[in-house]
Amino acid sequence: MKERSIYAIAGYVATLPALLLVVILLLFPMLQNLYYSFTSWDALTNPVWVGLENYKELFSDPNFLLSFRNTIIWVIATLVFPVFGGLLIASFIRDLKGEEIFKSIIFFPLAISFVSTGIIWINMFASNSGVLNGLLSLLSGRVIKVQWLAEAPRNTYSMIVAWTWQQTGTNMVLFLMGLTSIPRDPVEAALIDGANKWQTFRFVTVPMLRPITTVVIAQALVNSFKTFDLIYVITRGGPYRSTETLAVTMYRESFTMFRLGYGAAISVVLSFIIILISGFYVRKQMGKEQLYY
Amino acid sequence: MDRKILSDSRRQSVIWPRVLTYLVLTIIALLWVTPIYFSFLTAFKDMHDYANQAFYQLPARFAFFTNIAQVFKQYKFDDHIISSIFYMVGAGLLCIIFSCLAAYGIVRLKPRGAFLIFMIIYSGTIFPFQMYLIPLFKFYNNVGLYNTRLGMILVFTAITIPFSLFVYRGFFVTIPREIEDAAKIDGSGPFRTFLLIFVPQATAPTAVVMLFQWSWIWNDLLFGMVLTRSNNVRPIMVALASMSGIGGCSITLQMTGVILTSIPTIILFILLKKYFIEGISGTTSLK
Repeated sequence: MKERSIYAIAGYVATLPALLLVVILLLFPMLQNLYYSFTSWDALTNPVWVGLENYKELFSDPNFLLSFRNTIIWVIATLVFPVFGGLLIASFIRDLKGEEIFKSIIFFPLAISFVSTGIIWINMFASNSGVLNGLLSLLSGRVIKVQWLAEAPRNTYSMIVAWTWQQTGTNMVLFLMGLTSIPRDPVEAALIDGANKWQTFRFVTVPMLRPITTVVIAQALVNSFKTFDLIYVITRGGPYRSTETLAVTMYRESFTMFRLGYGAAISVVLSFIIILISGFYVRKQMGKEQLYY
Repeated sequence: MDRKILSDSRRQSVIWPRVLTYLVLTIIALLWVTPIYFSFLTAFKDMHDYANQAFYQLPARFAFFTNIAQVFKQYKFDDHIISSIFYMVGAGLLCIIFSCLAAYGIVRLKPRGAFLIFMIIYSGTIFPFQMYLIPLFKFYNNVGLYNTRLGMILVFTAITIPFSLFVYRGFFVTIPREIEDAAKIDGSGPFRTFLLIFVPQATAPTAVVMLFQWSWIWNDLLFGMVLTRSNNVRPIMVALASMSGIGGCSITLQMTGVILTSIPTIILFILLKKYFIEGISGTTSLK
């Protein structure tokens, strides 16, 4: 009995530092933030309770609505390019001679920061002496000066190219892992039965990849909803706030305009969406585990 | 048998798709390499060459080293790099110690409510960082942690603990109980057992944690922007980000900055490459 209690006390002591740091610096602030979202607050005076005012304002604020629309564009584009693209590349390079080389090349941008990725693509997209316009001019024989980053919605699409460049690698690696875990027999059986490559891929491989696909999609959704660094570095959300996403709008309202209550409300909306997705993902995972055990 | 027949009968029809696959993949690989190639090319030029040459021409004067000197001078890269290394070492160590200890406590000492404690800490991964920024900004201002290195270390530690705890927990579950029981019979107390038996075995999870958390701390922009102000506290990515946009510097210097600041994480990835898969697959944290 005495020994057990020593162990129990030691258990609390062992978990205490981690628990304290997380509660004080993350969880308590999170609750405070929820409170601030119901206040009007400029950082100088004390927050004033305004009830649902901030949330009402959100849905009539053209800046927020544009930001929300941009975020949705980012999310959809993420599913199409880095995720589906990652799956396609993974299934093509698998078992190919030189798999390692292709893999390393596509994977490489993941080792550098979003800030660096942003600047690398500023160099590509610059309108006067940028690489992309230079290459296009060379290929077409005319002088091409596309404003990749100045006009909406093209500037958002341009940044999604940069995002795809960086994000495809993770998904490809995860899908490759999933592909390796699939037994070969069903695929070969399908081929022998006369299914073509596409049919086999669509009706045998893809369904068997389900578990890993859930992970990849959930992760990609959450990450694309949170997009901040890349946009901040490339356009600062501009020009005229045309490329802002929720995370950028939140930063701007809070720390540039010091409308902290309003900024808090945006972060709550963002969290709400992300928790919905995560919850859906966890439920799917749980359901699957029950099936297996 | 079947496999052989299949491959023989299909050999003819298989060659052309193969060539096509290589062609497409090579084009994709080229698309991926192009931005990197031109990053180096731009970083090697001075402004004169950049403005007067075609974008694909090699520099007339190799200006990379002058650019490096310029970046260090103009943007105080040395200050920022020292700060960031400080955060990686400080927060990295604290995070490893605290989360490793907590995982041991939760998995092996099992005090009442151990699972609840785990869930509370792990819930730190669910919310986007935007949810913490405003209260942390206020709290740090009130207690004097705003714009201090200690403040940055504490926030980086707190952010990195939940994921690390998850990694260590997953690993400690797999260590057989017998070893621990033997130590117990020999009269070893809980923390002695932890130091002598659990810590020495935890190389793999520690490598996963180091790879992910060090590169995350080095690459962080958001907390650095919100919680710091002066040059000797701001982490490196804030300095790098300030080079772009209005009031920024020439693209040649920006690219030099990119190359310099990418070196540490690239080395980290090369050294710990085999732990990467473990990290993203084993945990699939929604981080």
